[in-house]
Amino acid sequence: MKNYLKNCLLIGLAAPILGLAGEAGTAIKADVLRAEPFADAKTAGNLNKNDSVDILGKKGAWLQVKSKSASGWVRILSVKRGGASGSGNSVADIASGRAGTGKVVSTTGIRGLSAEELKAAKFNEDEMKKMESHAVSASDAQKFASAGGLTSTQLAYLKGAK
Amino acid sequence: MKKQYSTLLLSLLITAGLLASQANALDLNKVLKDAVKDKVEEVKNGSETPLEKIPDAAPIATPATPAASAATTAEAPATTAIPTNTINWKNPSQDEEIALGRNITGSLLGAAPLVKDDALQKYVNQVGRWVASQSERADLPWKFGVIESADINAFAAPGGYVLITKGLYQKMTNEAQLAGVLGHEIAHVVKKHQLKVLQKQQLLSSGSNWLKEKFAKGNKLADKAIGSGAEISARSLDKDAEFEADRMGMVLAARAGYDAYGLAEVLQTIGQANKADSSVALLFKTHPAPDDRLAKLGDSAGSKLDNVKTGKTLENRLYKLN
Repeated sequence: MKNYLKNCLLIGLAAPILGLAGEAGTAIKADVLRAEPFADAKTAGNLNKNDSVDILGKKGAWLQVKSKSASGWVRILSVKRGGASGSGNSVADIASGRAGTGKVVSTTGIRGLSAEELKAAKFNEDEMKKMESHAVSASDAQKFASAGGLTSTQLAYLKGAK
Repeated sequence: MKKQYSTLLLSLLITAGLLASQANALDLNKVLKDAVKDKVEEVKNGSETPLEKIPDAAPIATPATPAASAATTAEAPATTAIPTNTINWKNPSQDEEIALGRNITGSLLGAAPLVKDDALQKYVNQVGRWVASQSERADLPWKFGVIESADINAFAAPGGYVLITKGLYQKMTNEAQLAGVLGHEIAHVVKKHQLKVLQKQQLLSSGSNWLKEKFAKGNKLADKAIGSGAEISARSLDKDAEFEADRMGMVLAARAGYDAYGLAEVLQTIGQANKADSSVALLFKTHPAPDDRLAKLGDSAGSKLDNVKTGKTLENRLYKLN
């Protein structure tokens, strides 16, 4: 009962933040499901690669998911959004009104960014100057960060996995 | 097949030995060895790609070609402080790196201009500059821009130039995701991934000309292999460079105080795109598959980010495009 309440609370807190609740996902590798969003939490089950899951919530580095056989927390980077076939718009895209925005056809006469078109591109000094005029100084960026409540923190780069 | 391969190997090893004495700052010997190795792998796997079809080094090397050639013609802008046709390719200075990046970026802008929205451009510069400040090249004159294109892609050029397409920007739902994507491009600049590719291309093409004059006249096999060495080498380098930029981009965003998983979320979104969709054609051609990138990120991160304080996502501050 206690756990049930706790889970409800966690879902309640996490889901609205990301709007992930109920979204479909797919395991991109085999991983362990944990009872809580911690590496040393009790094992709640296992995910196999390509298992379909429902994403119920998110907390820190963890997603709460429900697979056919078990429910629990799994690392964010072990799951991708969408079904295994990986096509079409996700629930989140539709829910957030973003469905199809990437396919909007530009009306400004842009030729496009295919390799061939890029090869044929000519230097545009006016646009370059415009880009330069938008540059922000490090101290202004610092102010912008502070305004958003961002503080920098130390973290080492990650080594590549074999 | 086997004979072709050993002849090729031999001729390239000789080449490598001959040219080794010329290289200093950039290890040309290693460049050529890598080129040979990759070529050999291709021949072995039977997956040899027609040379003219090999995409230029990704992600910026595609636009790099027009820029690099533009730089040697009269079209190079007079305002470029340092002429890019006199670059010391073996060991370019930071100013030369910036001048080169400016040329590449200006050419990209020739294909797709900036979105006409000053507030958007300023916003992206603020986020990008803050993330770049967390890197070991915080002193570069970083410049960011959103370009008018429905494609989903982002580009970095040497010296601190970063462009993302409007199509990609519109896929984002919070500022942490933007920070992660810009972090990935910033990492390319910090590690000089594109610069190294360009250096290799330049050094190999000059090396190849020198060789052709000396020895390889009429030797088509050598011509083919040497002439395309840079592209082949760049192609295999790129996969690792992309994975490295993903790892670094994630960490840079986290250092800046953002949720570390913004980049991963964007990769998850991109992974859902229909592969036949032209808006992702170049991205998918020049980058490893989003699923592979996510899996690599997950393997590298392991439990290392577990104790990082949960960062901010700032969805309310993400600048909304009309």
